[in-house]
Amino acid sequence: MIYLYWYLGIGVVVLAVVYGAHHLTKEKESDSLRELLEAVNPDRKKLSYRILNNIVAPVLAAMLVIAVWPLAVFMKVKEMFQKKESYVSPEEREFAVEREHLLERLTEQEIERREVVTDPLKAAPELPFGHLNAAWQEFLKGRAEGTELWSFSAQWQTTWGRKELRCGYVMVQDGAPSAHFLTVWKDIPDEADADANAGTKAARSDDIPRWLRKHAD
Amino acid sequence: MTAQIAERLHYLGEDVAMCTNPLDDYFAMRGVNSRFQSNCTALWRGYVGSWEIVDDRLYLVSLSGTIEGGADATLATIFPDFPDRVFAHWYSGTIRIPQGKQLEYVHMGYGSTFERDLLLDIERGLVVATRVRHNGTADSENAPEGYEVGAMTVFPRTSKGEGESA
Repeated sequence: MIYLYWYLGIGVVVLAVVYGAHHLTKEKESDSLRELLEAVNPDRKKLSYRILNNIVAPVLAAMLVIAVWPLAVFMKVKEMFQKKESYVSPEEREFAVEREHLLERLTEQEIERREVVTDPLKAAPELPFGHLNAAWQEFLKGRAEGTELWSFSAQWQTTWGRKELRCGYVMVQDGAPSAHFLTVWKDIPDEADADANAGTKAARSDDIPRWLRKHAD
Repeated sequence: MTAQIAERLHYLGEDVAMCTNPLDDYFAMRGVNSRFQSNCTALWRGYVGSWEIVDDRLYLVSLSGTIEGGADATLATIFPDFPDRVFAHWYSGTIRIPQGKQLEYVHMGYGSTFERDLLLDIERGLVVATRVRHNGTADSENAPEGYEVGAMTVFPRTSKGEGESA
């Protein structure tokens, strides 16, 4: 019987060490992460979930550690000797115009003629690209001698799977597209979205607003 | 993440909530950051724009927000030469206007669903199509109507470090 007491006693000590180490090293759940998790799983807010998560599960875990503490020691030692693999976020795919996206070669004057914005309420500068004229001028500053200007249209899928249509103008040097200027940047709706009258309550691509998805991207 | 405060749209004589942010595209297409400062978790973009559709054209008619450093921002802050009205010719996409009773409240982005969505397809600032998407019928007669944000945390104006719940 004395061996059992010793075994359980060591188990209690191991539990105290594991518990202390866990509290010292664990990262605090941020407010934004908590809100995100709660949005994904609304049950997290329920009292039953909290009782299960904060009381029942820890008590069961503690009893398990006391009962099979050699296994807990083994796992802790194994964890300490294993190199913690740092999380590497997926590389963001950066949009670039490719040769197959090119539509038509144009001169600077031709582009500027076709892109003058006019508005009956005079709520935009009557200039090429209107409110984006300064950005267009900045784009042209980076144009090297002999660089061609082409219009382009490209369908693009972001790292996160969102499909977009991007149109505009691109500099082409020695046949290779380089810097581009966007005139259209829009999401391509899913087939389910395209059929506006096919009612669905399922999550849709525009449930999460574009600005937020752009931040996420 | 918190449900986000919607933009406002004056459309066909009514003021409605608009769950789309065309001004964000303006900054994205210029390749610049917006310089707005968020002062609560329900408004990460840091501003609320009021929009109007006149003769099938989308206009930004006012703006309320806080710019980096804490100063109030208006339309003139972003468009100094157009302080009263800006034609949103840069915007192409679909504007979503939720209608009817709420089917499900989602405390994230514009994730809440409603009985219908009025969708306005915009091409370079011009309304080219209008559609209605039917999402279902609310189970309860008492289901809330209209877009709203359930809760948020407001940051003190000087610091985002500590906040108060509202």
